[in-house]
Amino acid sequence: MVRFQLAFKCLLVLFALSFNGAAAADDANAAWAQLTDSQRQVLNPLASEWDTLRPWQREKMLDIARDYPKMSADKQARVKKRLANWSRMTPYERENARKRHQRFKDLPADKKNELRKKWHEYQNLPEAERAKLRAESPDTYGDADN
Amino acid sequence: MNMHRDKMTNEKNTNLMDDQTTADLTATDLIVEEQIARNITELLKGRAQHLMPEQERRLSNARSMAVNHLAQQQAKLASSHGVSRHGYTLRWFGEHFEHHRFASSALIVAAALLTFFAVQHFGLNNNLENSDAFLLAADLPPEAYADKGFDAWLDSN
Repeated sequence: MVRFQLAFKCLLVLFALSFNGAAAADDANAAWAQLTDSQRQVLNPLASEWDTLRPWQREKMLDIARDYPKMSADKQARVKKRLANWSRMTPYERENARKRHQRFKDLPADKKNELRKKWHEYQNLPEAERAKLRAESPDTYGDADN
Repeated sequence: MNMHRDKMTNEKNTNLMDDQTTADLTATDLIVEEQIARNITELLKGRAQHLMPEQERRLSNARSMAVNHLAQQQAKLASSHGVSRHGYTLRWFGEHFEHHRFASSALIVAAALLTFFAVQHFGLNNNLENSDAFLLAADLPPEAYADKGFDAWLDSN
């Protein structure tokens, strides 16, 4: 009897987990019109292209919408501003950005400040010069799936 | 001197013969006992066909008592190893669990669920800082990490 009860409880937990997974998969297939108001509000920069995104891309964007309310107002503004560009980056550019962001977080504060300063300097270079630098740099990144 | 030696030899031979005789007797006794047992078995078998109902009832009762006694002994043995016939393992944790089976089961399930939700919660919090949302909200924009030109410019400077 005890065995039966334990098996039943395990089954309930497994059922709840599978239900959770199925719900996440449904969200990833949702069209723009099917999103909630709060999701649409956050993902508004992607409204025109949402229905062309692949399910795994939508899933990543929905994760952003999920985490958005946990941020301060200025960070939320940054997210909205950068969201459209982020969605247009290639999968391996995004994966590379994630990896390098992790490395950046581990740097000492002075190194972080130095990199920020350098980025602003680089942004002030003429676009032609930046394009030339990009063209001359070998593509060292491998393919990524997300 | 020779007479003494002969006497000693005779005594030794007598002892050997006695040993031999004892061994033969023991073997004979065993054979006889075995034969008696066979006779008893045959007699019992022969008479078993002609038992009185009262005798059959008493034999059946005696058999039931023997079987019950054996079952009790096996149950005691199993419980002394911590697992009953039903595989109830809670008593491993002490007599308290043995006496409060329902409460103990509920406690274990609650602990398992609590662990599950704690892992989920802390796992989510841990992933939060690594999610794309926090990358987008970081000081440096994602382009800074993905721009090959910026890398090249950093190297040259």
